Amino acid sequence: MGTRDISIRIKEIETEIGQIKDIRFSVGRLAQETWDEPQGPTPFPSITALRDWDLTLLKRYKPFYLPFCDLCCLCTFGKCDLTGDKKGACGITMPAQQSRIVLLAACIGAATHTSHARELVTHLITEFGEDERLDPGGLNIKVEAPITRLVCGVKPETLGDLEQVLDYAEQQITSLLACTHTGQEGNPLDLESKVFHTGMIDHLSMEVADIAQVSAYHLPKADPDAPLIDIGFGTVDTTKPVILVIGHNVPPAVEIMDYMQENDLVGTIEVTGICCTGIDMTRYSQKAKIIGPISWQIRYVRSGIPDIIVVDEQCIRTDILDEARALQIPVIATSEKNCLGLPNRTGDRSDAIIDDLVSGRTDGAFILNPEMVGEIAVRTAMRMRPKHKKKKGSILSPDEAIEEAKRCTQCRECRRACPNDLHISDAMRAFGRNDPTMLAEIYDACVGCIKCEQACTQDIPIHSLIIIAAGEKLKNEAFRLRAGRGAIQDIEIRQVGGPIVLGEIPGIVAFVGCANYPGGGHELAEMAIEFANRRFIICTSGCAAMTIGMYRDEDGRSPYEIYPGNFEAGGMVNVGSCVSNAHISGAAVKIASIFARRNLRGNYEEIADYVYNRVGAVGVAWGAMSQKAASIAAGFWRLGIPVIVGPHGTKYRRMLLGRSDHDDDWYVNDARTGEQVYVGPVPEHLFIAVETKEEAMVMIAKLSMRPNDTSRGRALKLTHYIDLHRRLLGSMPTDIHRFVRLEADIPITMKEDIVAILKEKDWRETVIPDPTLIQKKEGSS
Amino acid sequence: MFEDIPVDVGLVHEGERIRKSDMQVELGGPKVSEKFELVRLKPEEEIDPGAIHIIGPDLSELKEGKSHPFGILIEIAGPEIEENLEGVIERRIHEYCNYIEGFMHLNQRYDIWIRLSKKSFKKGLTSFRMIGEVMQELFRNELPIIRAIEITFITDQEQIRDYYTQALAIYEARDARARGLTDEDVDVFYGCALCQSFAPTHVCVVTPQRYANCGAISWFDGRAAARIDPKGPIFPIDKGECLDPRMGEYTGVNESAKKRSMGEVERIYLYSGFGYPHTSCGCFEGIAFYIPEVEGYGIVHRGFRDLSVNGLPFSTMADSTAGGRQIDGFHGISIEYMRSRKFLQADGGYEAVVWMPDEIKARLSEYIPESVYGAIATEKDATTIDELKEFLKTQNHPVVGRWVEMSEETNETAVFTAGEIPITTGGFRIILKNARIYADKVIIQPVQPKKPGRGEMQ
Repeated sequence: MGTRDISIRIKEIETEIGQIKDIRFSVGRLAQETWDEPQGPTPFPSITALRDWDLTLLKRYKPFYLPFCDLCCLCTFGKCDLTGDKKGACGITMPAQQSRIVLLAACIGAATHTSHARELVTHLITEFGEDERLDPGGLNIKVEAPITRLVCGVKPETLGDLEQVLDYAEQQITSLLACTHTGQEGNPLDLESKVFHTGMIDHLSMEVADIAQVSAYHLPKADPDAPLIDIGFGTVDTTKPVILVIGHNVPPAVEIMDYMQENDLVGTIEVTGICCTGIDMTRYSQKAKIIGPISWQIRYVRSGIPDIIVVDEQCIRTDILDEARALQIPVIATSEKNCLGLPNRTGDRSDAIIDDLVSGRTDGAFILNPEMVGEIAVRTAMRMRPKHKKKKGSILSPDEAIEEAKRCTQCRECRRACPNDLHISDAMRAFGRNDPTMLAEIYDACVGCIKCEQACTQDIPIHSLIIIAAGEKLKNEAFRLRAGRGAIQDIEIRQVGGPIVLGEIPGIVAFVGCANYPGGGHELAEMAIEFANRRFIICTSGCAAMTIGMYRDEDGRSPYEIYPGNFEAGGMVNVGSCVSNAHISGAAVKIASIFARRNLRGNYEEIADYVYNRVGAVGVAWGAMSQKAASIAAGFWRLGIPVIVGPHGTKYRRMLLGRSDHDDDWYVNDARTGEQVYVGPVPEHLFIAVETKEEAMVMIAKLSMRPNDTSRGRALKLTHYIDLHRRLLGSMPTDIHRFVRLEADIPITMKEDIVAILKEKDWRETVIPDPTLIQKKEGSS
Repeated sequence: MFEDIPVDVGLVHEGERIRKSDMQVELGGPKVSEKFELVRLKPEEEIDPGAIHIIGPDLSELKEGKSHPFGILIEIAGPEIEENLEGVIERRIHEYCNYIEGFMHLNQRYDIWIRLSKKSFKKGLTSFRMIGEVMQELFRNELPIIRAIEITFITDQEQIRDYYTQALAIYEARDARARGLTDEDVDVFYGCALCQSFAPTHVCVVTPQRYANCGAISWFDGRAAARIDPKGPIFPIDKGECLDPRMGEYTGVNESAKKRSMGEVERIYLYSGFGYPHTSCGCFEGIAFYIPEVEGYGIVHRGFRDLSVNGLPFSTMADSTAGGRQIDGFHGISIEYMRSRKFLQADGGYEAVVWMPDEIKARLSEYIPESVYGAIATEKDATTIDELKEFLKTQNHPVVGRWVEMSEETNETAVFTAGEIPITTGGFRIILKNARIYADKVIIQPVQPKKPGRGEMQ
């Protein structure tokens, strides 16, 4: 943009009211003068502008429904039973209702990121001015905002330029949400197309949020060597006052650190974070520490370590105030979206608020001014520390814990309530006999939801007992995480081009999402390590990035210490928090701009088609949980990037599965010849849940294949697929023949075996096309 | 395929690293001086097909945890193989060794560094014979042009010396031959369409004196690849008639480019950045960019993190260069091409180069003519065009002679002038007298559609 506030200076003006001298005019947006890229067909696309593209994808990847609930209870006609062929009172069918709920979830997710971005941008503009330049990566980044360019057709240059993008996102989410109203959209595929649109908007807003904070706060700018920071319970110096920040929106945490800096307190207070605020504040200061993902909230609060808790927005336990109150830890709420029922003290004097918090006259305060929060949090923590020290043992003593365990009646309600079906009651019995081993093992797979406690008929604080049994483990949680680096450099993308076409890099795997893991976080780290060793490029973000960091090899190193932070073969690239996910999709988009020099500007369909057919990227959300995870995934789907989720992912109500046995589904247009060419089921699915880590790894390798793979690239991808299948599932895959196009695609070390299989399957050689799903329109170039 | 081999063999083991504490033995490496790997073409009748010889102690007899002198000599035969391809085939040794679980291979030629892991040794990988069998199998399968193959492993302290000296002489002769080979000496160039998987209109032309843009494929590589896999992405281009030896324009290259780019590119000058320059994909190693103010080329490579002398970083210029297009004055190149005597020949070669990063200049010092070496600026000499001009003048760079008096600064033209501009707004009339509005560039476009949906224009 860059032409906001065009100013004209005029020496003299004569008007009917008189003569004016030296007047200066400011004109608003006039034109886009610094960007000569031609505008594509769909700048600021409406909710149906990309419908054809969505339907093209959905034709291959039809929704496969897994209803999580058979009823619709969204209006007063209902509840309506939708099982079998039944329709609801409004006429809605089960498939449409499932897609509708997915759309609703995606809208919640996208609204959350958009609102987050809006709040952040507004705050940063107040603080730094709307003319603050956007600079997400210095000289190594030319394409500063690939998603914004692609979707909106604008090139943002300043913080102020981002407002227009958010205006658009907000309009779109309003329309999308309206589609879920009774008697509105009822066709399942149209609803799915809107889910895709929501996902695209979500990535747009995430990009806005992250490039705004990276630019204004000078977070690492696309830096592969971003510092290694501390993560884990065991990294906290509990002799110092401890502040805990939970949530996603970083300004209050930034103000806390600024206040410490200004008052010479750095090093005397521990600033710790849970969830994405934790990630983002360690991007701001290496001295901040991350405790862990979202599921660490209860265990950390109950440890009694924090002296004050500051919450902003998203993924914060809604009972955080109750938990804190039990240990007399004051809470400050800082977001309009999460007031916790606390009195608004924004207008009060800091001293008065601090006195109230320290004395316990109030549980907490709702303060909308981040700068005030910074001061109050620091000063309160310093005064709370001596008070908390006196109350040592606020958590149960080991003996008390065993007594609690003895009260267990073995009703097993806890296990029934547990999302991971953990053997809690057996472990309780053992613990009652003074054997903590089993309960400590449960800790590894516990997602910290405390549904067990809610279910317990004896009101035993089960989660607290788990923490006590696993006390040593908690203390040993001390790892190193590479601070979120932000975007991928244009230069890095250029550098991996050669290795990708020469078959040295088999693909890009993004481990993203929440911590709702089926079998503990170590599985995620093991997957990441396996694929880094296989020379894939590994991207991580948010809770998944943390979980991968909370792992040690035999030498005590975390994956971020073993692998470089570069976007290269075997790199372990932590882009940052949830909103940094846009850099992963952005990297895929940039490949089109960098290698094929395709115009991004307002050119979504062509670029998505490019990414889908060429870029071997796969998303893995092993612990996907929230609505944001739903919208993030949807944003990847619209770009044709497949996403694999863990078993809890089936609760997203439908998968998008391809049918490898339907040959007709797998033809593409060869842009060279205009002919239709069979390319095999690549990638076979767009959204799939798998049960085990082993299945996930085989699926990652399989879904990294694309129609444009060079023979060397395909041979490498097939090698990984076959090797993992044999090693982890114990057999040769039965569909190899669908992935071999030419003899040169066959991995050299497996030639004899595969040639035999091909013979048996009556395989025929085909060609490697210049693949596209878009029919070339007459006269278009 | 490798049932008799006690460890796994597969592409997945590439990139495996074996640490010192995990190694059974080290072969070659920085601690020993006599080490090599060599492929030699021989008449078929002189080869004992399938034979594997071990001169000196075998793997199981080598002292654990130590470094040992080591040589691999592979003799091959086949009617389609020529001596020219020995080097290309030799580089497969690196790949094939790395496919073997627990057998790490680094570097090439006289610089090899191999480690066998204790784990694989314990699993039974105790003889070079097994390594030889794997290699023979892989060579035969991947390179069917090899009719017969015989492998010799040498670990004997005494005997390796002769082999080693001989190998060094052969590398030297091979390099001299390769350096001496010119585009005029051959009838066939090679085209590489690998990058078309990401940049569909780009076709690389690889000649003896012009390496592929990515720096990874030489004319010899192209020749080998095209013979091994005639249907593959690397194909021969009959160079045809030479239309212009200075520019490097060949009828065959033009025809091939036209066909492969679907008509997008009709002519190619191999040795010029102007007119019909060779296209650039996305993974070029460097850019030769023309600086009009001094009438010379700057060079910038991917690893240069600062602004180039024209004020632009690599990323910005790369954006102007990439995508399989022909852009005057922005030319994607490989570092190896800069070692060629044909390098930008039509534009003056190194005499037209005025600036390059210090790192690259040092790397290319042997190849830049001495007469101009000192006159080429680096970032240490000049970071702006003005500084560059001064530097070139002081050094009397050949381009200085070409400079003509620059015309005086052009006058700015107002995009909008008027004696009086009346504006009526909100009940006021405002008159701008003698207003002049200037702009670098004026584009008037609607900014955001009033309501979403305008993007749907059909």
